[in-house]
Amino acid sequence: MNPLDRRRFLQLSGLTLGAVGLSACAGTGSTEQSGDGGPVETLTMWSNHPGESKPVESQLLDAFTEETGIAVNLVTAGASYEEAAQRFNAALSGGELPDVVIASDVTWFNFALNDAITPMDDLWQAVGVDTAGYVDSLREDYEFEGAHYALPYARSTPLYYYNKPMWAAAGLPDRGPETWAEFAEWAPRLAAANPAVAPMVVPDGSNYLDWYFQGMIWTFGGAYSDEWEPTFTSPESLEAGRFLQDMYRQNFIAISNDANNQFGAAQAASLLQSTGSLGGLKETAQFEFGTAFLPGPPPGTPTGGAGLTIPANISDERKEAAMQLIAFLTNTDNTVTFSQATGYMPVRQDAIDDPEMVAYLEENPNARTALEQLAVTAPQDYARVFLPGGGARIGAGLDRITIGGEDVETVFRQLGEESQQVYERDIEPKL
Amino acid sequence: MSAQPIAATRGTSSASAPPAGTPARPAAKAGANPPGHRRRDILLAAAFLLPNLVLLVAFTYRPLVDNIRLSFTDWNISAPMASFIGVDNYVEWFTSDDSQLVLWNTVVFTGAAVLGSMVIGLALALLLDQKLFGRNAVRSLVFAPFVLAGAAVGVAFQFVFDPTFGLVQDLLGRVGVEAPAFYQDPEWALFMVTVTYIWKNLGYTFVIYLAALQGRRAELDEAAEIDAASTWTKFRRVTWPQLRPATFFLLITVLLNSFQVFDVIDTMTRGGPLGNGTTTMVYQVYQETFVNQRAGFGATVATIMFLALLVITLVQVRVMERGREA
Repeated sequence: MNPLDRRRFLQLSGLTLGAVGLSACAGTGSTEQSGDGGPVETLTMWSNHPGESKPVESQLLDAFTEETGIAVNLVTAGASYEEAAQRFNAALSGGELPDVVIASDVTWFNFALNDAITPMDDLWQAVGVDTAGYVDSLREDYEFEGAHYALPYARSTPLYYYNKPMWAAAGLPDRGPETWAEFAEWAPRLAAANPAVAPMVVPDGSNYLDWYFQGMIWTFGGAYSDEWEPTFTSPESLEAGRFLQDMYRQNFIAISNDANNQFGAAQAASLLQSTGSLGGLKETAQFEFGTAFLPGPPPGTPTGGAGLTIPANISDERKEAAMQLIAFLTNTDNTVTFSQATGYMPVRQDAIDDPEMVAYLEENPNARTALEQLAVTAPQDYARVFLPGGGARIGAGLDRITIGGEDVETVFRQLGEESQQVYERDIEPKL
Repeated sequence: MSAQPIAATRGTSSASAPPAGTPARPAAKAGANPPGHRRRDILLAAAFLLPNLVLLVAFTYRPLVDNIRLSFTDWNISAPMASFIGVDNYVEWFTSDDSQLVLWNTVVFTGAAVLGSMVIGLALALLLDQKLFGRNAVRSLVFAPFVLAGAAVGVAFQFVFDPTFGLVQDLLGRVGVEAPAFYQDPEWALFMVTVTYIWKNLGYTFVIYLAALQGRRAELDEAAEIDAASTWTKFRRVTWPQLRPATFFLLITVLLNSFQVFDVIDTMTRGGPLGNGTTTMVYQVYQETFVNQRAGFGATVATIMFLALLVITLVQVRVMERGREA
């Protein structure tokens, strides 16, 4: 072995430190992508493929590449909107940012508030996006302080699914209940005609019960919040909470960690679930089922789902190319394609009027319900979608009053206090 | 320089005087090394150690220090900036009812997972150490779940505990017993994720105990048999003392691993029911950081967890050293 003199040692150490330094840089990357002013050749899109949409997303992206020459790398950023948001958050802390990222109704606002995503209005102008073609209410869901931070993509509402044979056995008309009071009248008949079957099943608090209950609380005249002011303890909100608790105690509403399966296996006569579940239920349910509006009076249904956003810390050239991609994915033809493949609502008015879509809806009346229901939807309460952790917090509270059997007023008062605390701590200083 | 300071820095007993009659140790020879050789040894040692030290600093200690620093801030994970808020996060964690529940869940889960996997792993190792027909196949089956992904196991066990179609519900139904509400009762939910975790990790304790059993001294077993010792006495007096090092090792590693469980809980319950029914400290770190966006508070929980694990590990090591000395 050759003796190791000081010079060789220093060389070896220098090489080692250099290698480690380079590997450390590779691990953390940079939040600023290249912006040399040249044409963009490749884009990266992060999606969780809502509604099992990976095949149709790939198909649409291939079409985009064919039309523009820009290749798109479709990355599975998680199995849910939350996982996609987590990955994006991790990238914001030093990883490589995508050019387009999916963001749900409860995740986009935090990104906008912290300047992590780009206001799109100027990009719309630059790229020439036909924003008037989008359904107004869906487009305006992403407005904050006069700017828009996303365009609607996989948008949904809750739907009322019902098992037609069970409905017939109970002697009920072939429609959903028009009000929650009517459901309360029907539930004993459904239970009697279909023993050991819950008249209705809804997902539990870990699976967006807070989203489904939002429509119910509205029909009682209550709300989670009036803009930033929590309204959990208003008499109307408490009445809605007590109604849910009462229905649960009487076994007229079941709370499940897997409500889709329970309904699909004919273990429940009806179900509150997203329009995005329509495609899956059509394949799994071995019986005829119908869809209906959520019980009213209107508005008894919130909108939901996801839009497409563009990170703030990428170059202007990439932002424009990303905007071009989003516009392509949500143009009339592609909206029709995506909607038919997944069950999500068409996000453009002209897609709804498209002859192909009209014909599809004629053949699939269950898909038409969501579109018709759009007229009686309302934007979601700030306490659920804009306060960090709002959905999970309210969902846990609803679990407590149902499966936990806790006092509604106590739980709702705590929800109000916690929401106010989160607003004052995390939101108010940034407004 | 003499050899004495080197021995002293090693902290070994070799610094004491050798017994009478012992030949002269080569230390004297080492002390005669010319200064150039000694410098070369130091440089060589440094060249080998430096890369590892740099990696440790870059990828272990620096994130650790960063995490501790962030625990004193109000960092929102999406925000580029964070403000220093002193010990507010720590005060909030130690005074919160939620944190007490999370701590309780962590202790119960960890205790049950450590005890359950070690006792069952030992029992299986003792059984499959016997000369039984097909034991190699059974050994493989017992070990197999350990190499599966935790998330996959969590998803699979959802079907085991499903209240409508689950295996447990079906089996209990056959004997006229109603299945517990695994997904709605927090205590049963914690039981469910603990059982799932133990099943997944049983192979680890099993294989360590089996290796220890196969490495034990056969002559001691033979001596016990000659003395007509009962099976229990043989286990208690002969086998168990030889398994102590493996037990200490498992105690530390299983405890550290089960303290940090995430995947099984995330796939099966998402920390619920009722909000925090199965939330452990690691899951709280995730919820606070990614769901509630409070990365600063999440860092606080992670720091508290790190300190708790550090203390537990130090105590265990100390106990193990005392056991050896005894």
